[in-house]
Amino acid sequence: MRLGRFIAWLVVGVVALFYVVPMIAMTRFAFQRIPVIKLSLGNVFDKWTVAPLFESFTESEFRSSATLSLMLAVATALLTLVLLVPTMAIAHLRSPRMRRLIELSATLPFVVPAIALVVGFAGTFRETLPILIRSSFGLVPLYVVTALPFTHRTIENGLAALDLRTLVNASRSLGASWTRTMIFVIAPNIRASIATASFLAFTVVLGEFTIASLLLKNTLPLYLAYAQGRNPQGAFAVGIVLIIVSTIFVALSNRLGKVVRA
Amino acid sequence: MTRNIVFSDISKSFGSVNALSHFSLSVDEGELVTLLGPSGCGKSTALRVAAGFEAADSGDVLIGGVSVIASPANKRGIGMVFQNYSLFPHLKISENVEFGMRVRKMSRTSRTARVGELLDLVRLAGVADRYPHQISGGQQQRVALARALAVEPRVLLLDEPLSALDATVRVEVRDEIRRIQRASGIATVFVTHDQDEALAISDRICVMTEGRIEQVGTPVVVYRAPATAFVARFVGKVNDLGVDVVSSTKLRLRGHRFAFEMKPGAAGAGAAGREAQMLIRPEDVRVAAAISTEDSENGIHGVVRTINFGGATTSIDVQVVGTDHFVRVADNTRTMNFQIGDAVIVEFDTERALLI
Amino acid sequence: MASSLGQRTRHLAFLPYAVFLFIFLIWPGLYVFRQALNQSAGERNPMIEAVTGQYRSSFIFSLQLSFISSAIGLVIGSAVAIAIMQLADVRGLRNILVGYSSVAANMGGIPLAFAFLAAFGMQGLATRLLKEINIDIIGWGFKISDFWGIVLVYLYFQIPLMTLVLVPALDGLRRTWAEAAQSLGATVSQYWRFIALPILTPAILGGFLLLVANAFAAYATAYALSSGGSKLVPVQIRFFLQGETITGKSNLGYALAAWMVIITAMLVAGFQVMTRRAERWRQ
Repeated sequence: MRLGRFIAWLVVGVVALFYVVPMIAMTRFAFQRIPVIKLSLGNVFDKWTVAPLFESFTESEFRSSATLSLMLAVATALLTLVLLVPTMAIAHLRSPRMRRLIELSATLPFVVPAIALVVGFAGTFRETLPILIRSSFGLVPLYVVTALPFTHRTIENGLAALDLRTLVNASRSLGASWTRTMIFVIAPNIRASIATASFLAFTVVLGEFTIASLLLKNTLPLYLAYAQGRNPQGAFAVGIVLIIVSTIFVALSNRLGKVVRA
Repeated sequence: MTRNIVFSDISKSFGSVNALSHFSLSVDEGELVTLLGPSGCGKSTALRVAAGFEAADSGDVLIGGVSVIASPANKRGIGMVFQNYSLFPHLKISENVEFGMRVRKMSRTSRTARVGELLDLVRLAGVADRYPHQISGGQQQRVALARALAVEPRVLLLDEPLSALDATVRVEVRDEIRRIQRASGIATVFVTHDQDEALAISDRICVMTEGRIEQVGTPVVVYRAPATAFVARFVGKVNDLGVDVVSSTKLRLRGHRFAFEMKPGAAGAGAAGREAQMLIRPEDVRVAAAISTEDSENGIHGVVRTINFGGATTSIDVQVVGTDHFVRVADNTRTMNFQIGDAVIVEFDTERALLI
Repeated sequence: MASSLGQRTRHLAFLPYAVFLFIFLIWPGLYVFRQALNQSAGERNPMIEAVTGQYRSSFIFSLQLSFISSAIGLVIGSAVAIAIMQLADVRGLRNILVGYSSVAANMGGIPLAFAFLAAFGMQGLATRLLKEINIDIIGWGFKISDFWGIVLVYLYFQIPLMTLVLVPALDGLRRTWAEAAQSLGATVSQYWRFIALPILTPAILGGFLLLVANAFAAYATAYALSSGGSKLVPVQIRFFLQGETITGKSNLGYALAAWMVIITAMLVAGFQVMTRRAERWRQ
């Protein structure tokens, strides 16, 4: 047993190192103005500065891409909720068969990789509805599809934890319309799911590259790719911030996820 | 080699908690002894120490006269049935039952034959090719029993095997276990917190609390002659009445005037005037219709407050007039012809009552 | 209870969702297949051409990358999961490891590539540190943009993904089964051989398939690391269908995409089958 524990710690240690080293390297590269070759034990703590980050912030390309990404994220989260919550609530209430169908359909996006999705999308609408391709907001439905497996599961967990039928019966018997019930009764009771689903949508949008790249839209990940050549330290600095933000989102999702399932 | 088990002065603590204190018990061939007690009393710990899943701090366990305390769990020759999730989910029933034999590298023909025997023994011959999730909880436990018996253990250990089952199934499986145990003659240790189970199937009951043994005896003895207040309260129902000791043969309900007979010597060395508790079973209390509900010095008058109809027997709660004492009385339904509000006279048959 | 939504209205409620999925998922998917099977006169069927000749090597490269990164990810990820169970008594360790695993498993393509460039690139911090202790990986011919470099980067999300799949499966290994096996005379190795491993196999296999599908579809990471990524199927598809230009051979691009969908579909289906079996035993 002693040996078993030792090996366990060894595995954990090595893997933790593997997880941490690239992050440290990226931070160092971004925020320390010393090239790796010139690095030595003597100057390890010198020339640290947050300047590269702010240099990036002042770039107009950064600001436009960050704004775009944020707007897309918000739109994706909203569209996801508007599409999923009423549909799934009704499925839960009325039709277990529909519920299972929706569950099945939510795993379909896994089957169609982003690259296939975007070329199919572009091909389909290039002639018929070019506005979908020209407008940056054409990305939103594709993002909703990409995030669907995760957002669906979150809302499914939230609805399953409720006694939905009783809630709706109570609300309707007190005279509320369906819309009212949806907004004022169901939604507040799956607050945690809604928040988690939104966080997941944000994480997906802020990290998505393939679709935006092929449709030539300047989102934050694309900015990063291009800025790497122009201003590597700045790009890496923004990358770090992005990782931190995504981490916070995922951590919050996990925390809320436990609440949802409780 | 005899099939028996002896616990010799086992002690075990988890941190600051004494799970078992100087636990000693012997179970002979053919006997079914039940460890009975509330959660945390140490009954499961004792079983797990016998099985080898917990190491005792001190003491010994002997199976067939041989100390096994230093042997690992897979070499003790025990058969064990757990509370739930006993069966291996990915194996068919027949494969589950033959698992112990496979481990011992028995030939396929002998395995198959024995599996057939055992499934017949537990009356489940038809499910051999099914999977655990396809049969009911009661059936699963019977299969678990067959599996444990397959390797001809010297001792059978059952850790609350009925607790996870539905009430109706519980009685069926319980009777099966008893029948099979009698037929096979293996020394068996049965752990439960359900005193009905214990009373129904045991040769002897070992009542435990807080890591100690309170009493060991046949079900009749444990029920009718409880050695301590704990046993009296835990096994069966009991009235717990505050009394004053008037003399070495007389007691009086606290706050009441009538002094009634107590069996001689029960008042113990206690001086007259001391306060005590009398524990008396509902079936040892007699009631008769009374003319009035007036309190009297000549008897204990009471009013019927609730009636609990239990089919063959009925119990009633009688409030003693002028006090807060409630006495539960149980008897054949035929003799208990009372309505709520009736006046009655209460008499105690203190032959088997306990005074503490 | 009187239903205030009639049958027809009930099904109407699913219409928006169904229409949405159809327009933005199913129709584009069908389009890809339609174009992929669209054969101009005199040319070979694009679906066949896509997996022969020079394009065959793309698929092989992509699949090799996926399988190898998944195989290594399976081994190390499982080791981490087992370690987590072994060290269950260390307070907070499980939460930290599982928590970070869910972060790392979702780590986006571009920032991850940056991180590895900064660590293991020619000018990388780890490269430099290793050199200090006389391990010259550059001298060995290691390049972050080549096959093994990309495998290394992929491991960053493959390992935690396997961990996340396996930890619940290990949780599901009831202690009772281990004790029952012991009481029946099994040794530790017999327990693992006859009980634990067979029960875990669907989860492990399913996890492996998930990892392969995950790696196979990945695009951004390889793109950011460039050169080595150009042999990957997703990058090849992009080359054929760049933006809105129509090269003469666009059908080939669609064929490549169609094959991607087919392969991924098989992997996901396999994963579903495995998961369902694992769930059944979780009762």
